[in-house]
Amino acid sequence: MASYRAPLRDMRYVLYTLMGGEELSSLPGYEEFTPDLIDPVLEEAAKLCEGVLHPLNRPGDEAGCVFENGVVRTPSGFPEAYATFREGGWTALSCDPAYGGQGVPHMVATLVEEMICSANLSFGMVPGLSYGAYVALHEFGTEDLKAAYLPALVDGTWTGTMCLTEPQCGTDLGLVRTRAVPQEDGSYRLTGTKIFISAGEHDLAENIVHLVLARLPDAPKGVKGISLFLVPKFLPDAQGRPGPRNGVSCGAIEHKMGIKASPTCVMNFDDATGWLVGEPHKGLRAMFSMMNAERLSVGVQGLGLAEAAYQGAVAYARERGQGRSLAGTKNPDKAADAIIVHPDVRRMLLIQRATVEGCRALALWTARHLDLSTHHPDPVAREESADFVALMTPVVKALMTDMGFTSTNLGVQVFGGHGYIREHGMEQYVRDARIAQIYEGTNGIQALDLVGRKLGAHAGRYLRRFFHPVGAYIEAHGEEERLAPFVTPLAKAFVRLQQATAQVARAGLRDPEEAAAVASDYLRLFGLTALGFLWARMAETALEHQGDDADGFHAAKLATARFYMDKMLPETGALFSVIMAGGASIGALDEAAF
Amino acid sequence: MTEIRSVAVLGAGVMGAGIAAQVANAGIPVMLLDIVPEGAAPERRSQLAEDALARMMKTDPAPFMSKAAARLVTPGNIEDHFETLSQVDWIVEAVIERLDIKQALYARLEAVRKPGSVVSSNTSTLPLATLVEGLPASFARDFLITHFFNPPRYMRLLEVVAGPDTRPEAVAAVTRVADHALGKSVVAAKDRPGFIANRLGVYWLQAAVVEAVDQGLAIEDVDAVIGKPMGIPKTGVFGLLDLVGLDLMPHVTKSLAAALDPQDPFHALNRPMPAIERLIADGYTGRKGKGGFYRLNKAEGKRKEAFDFTTQTFRPARKADVPALASAGRSLNALLEHPGPHGTYAWRVMGRTLAYAAALLGDAADTVDAIDEAMRLGYNWKYGPFELIDRLGADWLRGRLEAEGWPVPEALRVAAGRSFYRVEDGRRQRLDLDGQYRDVVRAPGVLLLQDIKLTSQPIMKNGSAALWDIGDGVACFEFTSKMNSLDADIMDLLGKALRRVKRDYKALVIYNEGTNFSVGANLGLALFAANIAAWSEIEALVAQGQETYQALREAPFPVVGAPSGMALGGGCEILLHCDAVQAHAESYIGLVEVGVGLIPAWGGCATMLERWATLGRLPKGPMPAIARVFEIVSTATVAKSAAEAKDLLFLRPTDGITMNRDRLLADAKARALALVEGYTPPEAPSYTLPGPTARTAMGLAVTSFRRLGKATPYDEVVAGALAAVLSGGDTDVLTPLDRDAVLALERSHFMRLVRTPGTLARLESMLMTRKPLRN
Repeated sequence: MASYRAPLRDMRYVLYTLMGGEELSSLPGYEEFTPDLIDPVLEEAAKLCEGVLHPLNRPGDEAGCVFENGVVRTPSGFPEAYATFREGGWTALSCDPAYGGQGVPHMVATLVEEMICSANLSFGMVPGLSYGAYVALHEFGTEDLKAAYLPALVDGTWTGTMCLTEPQCGTDLGLVRTRAVPQEDGSYRLTGTKIFISAGEHDLAENIVHLVLARLPDAPKGVKGISLFLVPKFLPDAQGRPGPRNGVSCGAIEHKMGIKASPTCVMNFDDATGWLVGEPHKGLRAMFSMMNAERLSVGVQGLGLAEAAYQGAVAYARERGQGRSLAGTKNPDKAADAIIVHPDVRRMLLIQRATVEGCRALALWTARHLDLSTHHPDPVAREESADFVALMTPVVKALMTDMGFTSTNLGVQVFGGHGYIREHGMEQYVRDARIAQIYEGTNGIQALDLVGRKLGAHAGRYLRRFFHPVGAYIEAHGEEERLAPFVTPLAKAFVRLQQATAQVARAGLRDPEEAAAVASDYLRLFGLTALGFLWARMAETALEHQGDDADGFHAAKLATARFYMDKMLPETGALFSVIMAGGASIGALDEAAF
Repeated sequence: MTEIRSVAVLGAGVMGAGIAAQVANAGIPVMLLDIVPEGAAPERRSQLAEDALARMMKTDPAPFMSKAAARLVTPGNIEDHFETLSQVDWIVEAVIERLDIKQALYARLEAVRKPGSVVSSNTSTLPLATLVEGLPASFARDFLITHFFNPPRYMRLLEVVAGPDTRPEAVAAVTRVADHALGKSVVAAKDRPGFIANRLGVYWLQAAVVEAVDQGLAIEDVDAVIGKPMGIPKTGVFGLLDLVGLDLMPHVTKSLAAALDPQDPFHALNRPMPAIERLIADGYTGRKGKGGFYRLNKAEGKRKEAFDFTTQTFRPARKADVPALASAGRSLNALLEHPGPHGTYAWRVMGRTLAYAAALLGDAADTVDAIDEAMRLGYNWKYGPFELIDRLGADWLRGRLEAEGWPVPEALRVAAGRSFYRVEDGRRQRLDLDGQYRDVVRAPGVLLLQDIKLTSQPIMKNGSAALWDIGDGVACFEFTSKMNSLDADIMDLLGKALRRVKRDYKALVIYNEGTNFSVGANLGLALFAANIAAWSEIEALVAQGQETYQALREAPFPVVGAPSGMALGGGCEILLHCDAVQAHAESYIGLVEVGVGLIPAWGGCATMLERWATLGRLPKGPMPAIARVFEIVSTATVAKSAAEAKDLLFLRPTDGITMNRDRLLADAKARALALVEGYTPPEAPSYTLPGPTARTAMGLAVTSFRRLGKATPYDEVVAGALAAVLSGGDTDVLTPLDRDAVLALERSHFMRLVRTPGTLARLESMLMTRKPLRN
């Protein structure tokens, strides 16, 4: 069975060496988050994930959730693990101290999230969704609502959901039908059916707080007519404890490909009491505040699963003996050399490794700006960082879940037939990773978000936050010989990205379909170039540590950086050709001919 | 042939004074006379005219195109200076709208005016037949109505009404001077109340108001419907009434109602409007008062509010909410057929207005193009009513009128199965009431690209520009991009055009028929390129512009620029590189780059330095020219007329000015042809620039401005870059610089600025809000 060790060495490197995490404590509100506080947090999280969550991952997948008489039972051990998780304060990690949270910076919380996703993605769904609900309520809820619900959401005694999808309404939220009728006491009564509701019903917490998109009676059509409501499973009593049962119930749970230990529920709202969150008809805005947080988290899911698959594959490749090295026998004492000697196996492992380390850097780069966007004292700097997060959110979500899926798949491949059977847990990673490309906005939607909304926003201002630092880096280091193997390919990819960006923007102005036809390719080109920049920077730090590298960490970084530049970044060339070919051939085939 | 060389205007009110100013703008001396006010001091007997002149010097938008023009107006009074009227060729009467006063004045005029002189009245309410009643036949022969629109400098429409006795020669003389000198489009109107534009325009406004009140519609929605979708200015109905003044409307409707035949459909719309009367009584007379249908509520932090006819109160203004517009898309028929309240409203207002327009054919004017021109120029409609009917379909309109049971005008029956305009053999033709199509004839000497396009294909074109053959060996380069902004495609085609003209033509004119000649470089593209750090592309675009403009300057044939409207930034720079410019009088030229944190870098600095050094009539030494250019460019000065552009040397003293927009291309072509014989390109200049000392001096000046709060911190940065270029960089007076060296300075300082966050913020603000950022 696959084991998991939290990659703390690399996490600290990305946090401190690459992304300046030591400076977090210079931001107002983050004063206490010095390395001597952060490190123990990471170590404790590692212990919890390795010792408590990961052992439940395979059994949870085998057992799945059980639905009986409207009640959902999570797999054996999950309720106890959740209690441990909650009591350890992990649900409160990055929440507002005013509501009992710990106010941990996003950079740190992102690393903890990665560990949870590596260890047990199904388990992580529950606190993940709760955090999304927390974000929306914290930003848009009334003081009364916040006082009544946030403390329990923060300490984890209650959990949260996001109820968006309906049978007829997936990506297109304008189709929401659930109705909300205002009552004289200021509350609303909601009626309708929501599907695909993660953690909609379970046995982990004493109450569940649903955030529900619905329409008011006078609502305009489409997305401009949806409002956000808070609907608890149990209505709080006078003491704020769970009181009478509300008109919301679970009708069924889905049988699905992966994340089987996470209950995916059909939720029926039947005259359920709820309260408005944010302004009437402005539900989309409130919903996007949690959606954006969730999208970054889903990107991290791709990363976490890729890391777990990589660890499993490396361990197997070291011990599995098959054939002899083509360069000459490596281990004459054994009947065969370990398969890690074979170039194709090494190729797969290196793709996984470069993916994991690159994506980790990308996740923390974005998390860093998320921290700056809320805590930097200068409003201009806050806006710049918010721009960056807005720009990179679709890239992080789509790129990291696509690469996560590829990586978990390579994990199966390294195992060969043993990867395809359930025993080693490698195929579970593939199944679990698959959903991340779909939920919180499919990766196709992410690409449209990038091309349709983010490119043109404020006359292209968001782009500046990425292109200027990368452009400046290339200008500053383009002449350095020792960095040439990294900066030269980066510069090539960067020019491709610049030209593709101009092309996509031009095409989009003329004909939105032209831009939409190449959006996914463009997002990947963007993401691979971003990773190229991060790998160049990682190579730069590795070079600085030559001779001061007892554990060989930096030498390995440099080798992986070379691999990325040689074997992965060149994909940008093909993507560039694809983008420049435009959308003609996509529109050419008659619909009836499909 | 009567030639009008001197003019007098009687009556120094807003219209009379404005007419006098426009006559002066044309370079014609003019007397402005009014009565002697009771009890006037001996030295202030002409005070009405004198005060009107003083007032006009402060009016914005300015009635005068230049200070020199203002000096051509001689104020006087009709007691002491009446005899001098014997000297003038054309007397424009613009006194109070009272028949007795006008006729008494005419009788006095008849005694002094010189034989063959012309008298015209600017009346808008009194029929010509009534005005000449009881006056000698000699007067009636020389009398006509010239109905100007307010403000006379800017409104291009002039309705001319001739009586049965008026000499054709008199009409021709006035038409000629109005067309050529005053720049007006003369439309022949009949002696009917309100003439053309106001007869139809007032009917339209009245219909829109009455229907809006009856249906209880929000005024924002009305202005959104009866506005842009129909090619009507976005002020719509209520925004327009706020502009012209609510209090004016009752007077206008009253006088129209009194003059119109009893069966005229106007009477059905003319009813008391108590809500509006109360607004007027409360001081809500429009923008000149404390607001009108829209107001700014200062108590609520300058909140924009709109008057609500249902509640009879003001409420916060909101965005127009007209679902019919979205569902109709670009189809005007779909909008007028939309079943909702706004579709019904649009039909009830425009259906009637267009039917009324059709009924005016033969009554107010003889031809559809006269009526269309009157509405296009008098009310700034993009399409005249008959052009709108053609868009909808004359049969469609007739069908709907019949379905409503409304009367169908004769013109629509004549047009059954046809349209009011058609193009036949490359000529635009109009349908007349007798059922015949006849050519729409331009005044002699008018040359328009829109006509050339009916008969020919461009020599070459791309997405942003086109090159046309305009005859006699002259080619015309036209910008066709959005707002005529300059981009790489324009530069590309201009480069190709220069090679083609060299091979196949004698001369080139740069001209277009957009509202503005060019608003400058495409900032959106520039900012986008900057946002993605595509510095080399930006630099390439700067270099391409410099090279193309340089090639234009050095081309072996004459190039004449012919701007109208705004010619800003790069649009100004292309003119600076032409051999000559023939500018429409209403050209607004300037180098405004500093507003977006940049400096002119397509040769604007280099050429302005050269101009001021050679043509500036300044004290000796390099510094005065540099200082003057620095002052002009660092403050983004825009000339408010072609005449003013000469003062700033955006135009040379020898450049030509055309008063009539429609004659601009013909004049530019003639100028280009005149330059062909023996043409040699201008020599490359050599610059003597003082270098760092001059730069420091200009820097100090800006710093003191900033300390005084007249310049912002980032102004100082931009002005610093400008000073560096104008002073010649690191040169000194002993080292002459060539043009390439100055162009290189433009380029390098432009590139430095475009990489600076302050410039990017200014560009973003301009693009997103259309307002300059003062950072």
